[in-house]
Amino acid sequence: MEALNVEKLTFYYGTRCVLDEVSFSVSSGLICGLLGPNGSGKTTLLKCINGIYKPATGCVKVNNVPLDQSDRQEIARKMSVVPQQTNSVFAFKVADMVVMGRSPTFEIWQAPSPSDRVDAIKLLKDLGVGHLAERHFNEISGGERQLVLLARAIFQNTQIMLLDEPTSHLDLKNQVKIIELVKSVTVERGITTIMTLHDPNLALYNCDEVVLLKNGRIAGIGKTDQVLIDENLSNIYELNVNVEVTQRGKKVIIPECWQENNAYQERSLIHEKVQ
Amino acid sequence: MKKLVGVKMTKTSEQKLFLLVIILLLAAFLFSLTVGRYGLGWFNILEVIKLKITDQSIPDHLTSDDIVFWSVRLPRLLMALFVGSALAVSGTVFQGLFRNPLVSPDILGVSAGASFGAGMAILLVGNSAFAIQISAFGFGLVAVVLAYQLARHCRTDTITVLVLAGVIVSALFTAGLSFLKYVADPYEELPALVFWTMGGFSTIAWKDVAMTVPVVLIGILILYLLRWKLDIMALGDEEALSLGVKVNKMRLIYIAIATLIVASSVATCGTIGWVGLVVPHMARLIIGPGHNHLLPFAAILGAVFIILMDTLARTISGGEIPIGIITSFIGAPFLGYLLWKQGKD
Repeated sequence: MEALNVEKLTFYYGTRCVLDEVSFSVSSGLICGLLGPNGSGKTTLLKCINGIYKPATGCVKVNNVPLDQSDRQEIARKMSVVPQQTNSVFAFKVADMVVMGRSPTFEIWQAPSPSDRVDAIKLLKDLGVGHLAERHFNEISGGERQLVLLARAIFQNTQIMLLDEPTSHLDLKNQVKIIELVKSVTVERGITTIMTLHDPNLALYNCDEVVLLKNGRIAGIGKTDQVLIDENLSNIYELNVNVEVTQRGKKVIIPECWQENNAYQERSLIHEKVQ
Repeated sequence: MKKLVGVKMTKTSEQKLFLLVIILLLAAFLFSLTVGRYGLGWFNILEVIKLKITDQSIPDHLTSDDIVFWSVRLPRLLMALFVGSALAVSGTVFQGLFRNPLVSPDILGVSAGASFGAGMAILLVGNSAFAIQISAFGFGLVAVVLAYQLARHCRTDTITVLVLAGVIVSALFTAGLSFLKYVADPYEELPALVFWTMGGFSTIAWKDVAMTVPVVLIGILILYLLRWKLDIMALGDEEALSLGVKVNKMRLIYIAIATLIVASSVATCGTIGWVGLVVPHMARLIIGPGHNHLLPFAAILGAVFIILMDTLARTISGGEIPIGIITSFIGAPFLGYLLWKQGKD
């Protein structure tokens, strides 16, 4: 059974249609990647799924229960979000940021107990970043921040996890670290993960399913191998894009214009001409 | 103080800080009971308390001490304690809620709105404490909602815009209050209005304490219970929503209660500026930004601050200096220091 169903979701910013009857579903234990060019509606779709934006028509169902019947606290018990970044004006400690993941299970007047904090620190240790627990969130690196936000979502312990471009602004090592963690959590806990991504290669190697968006409409949907093909990618990015196979049999998605000459060769040619 | 920010806070160090500030409050309270133009000796204070409890008649040599202690100094100090807490807690809540360390009840226009409301009530209804409180609360709420909506509409650098919006709203209500003074009856209403706008605790009697303290106490208790959600609200609306906080409902509750306790203080003591800005900052520097500890700490620190300022106001000269002058002398340079420090960072 599908854990998450998105049914004919339509959303307008003023009069501009940002999402046009978007429908798809994802099962438990799978990672679904949302791909599309800038302004295609990926982040808006994520916010509609989370109920932060109210769609004009359509609905989102978790285990066949429509979300519009749930209040914010109930939604947050089912769904966690890893934002692209967070701008905390106040220098909260990392452990205190992670503890906030328990907020949906608390009563309105309830504050976390010391044991909640101990649990949060234990999770950080399990993720290999226990040393960050007492540091200020504003003072740690971008990769570490993303890891802490992911830890908070894991601490929220929900059936569905939404990630908004979790690897943007990160170096390769941190990208791998974050994505591997997302994969292991998804499989071990059997949750449903949806993440928007800019890099189709990340989706190719890490997503079970992919939804392609273009101008607020679905331009491709299904198993990653079947959807990430030359035709679909060239269509959404409006650029000739190929899925190439390397000598070692690995697939790589690469724009056609980068395949003929690499930048260094081109510049060498220009340099020769000038001389 | 700067050193403390980097110190690794353990539970015990937080407990120590609380213990320290509570001892400070007790010391400030007891010290302030004794000093003033009419000094009270410890022995005499204990004696008048004992006589009161045992319901005995007051001997002649203690009559003055009895009046000063029971009718002047104790209500005054109690009022200062709760008003200090109210202003500090309200400032802490507004700063967390609006994710803006530069706002306070004064800067958001709450104090000016409440002053105008109280002035209106004095003019229209006369000296009814209840009407003054209700009107102060109503206009205080109008002021903060106006400033917030104005800033939200602009959608640019919200920290600066909210401060500017507050300045605009404050200016409007301050002009309104000046207009009220202009049209007031110069023989009866104007003196009452001017006397009240000067602020301070010099006229506080038990009836004022009975009117203000319960409102402030209940308000602070509710905000204390809701303190942790402020941490999440401080991350911004979308993140708070995704963490299950009913943002609009919570914002309304925080604004209403923070405004209520300020309005209630303003209605009896007039505007005492800067406390709501300075004390939350000092508290945050000492104990950190988590509202779990920050809110109660700021409440106690606010009480200490006002009690000491009030004692200073009534002892440094022959007459009594309005407390607002003293808090401004401390608050304005402190804001300058904050700006300077922010520029350096």
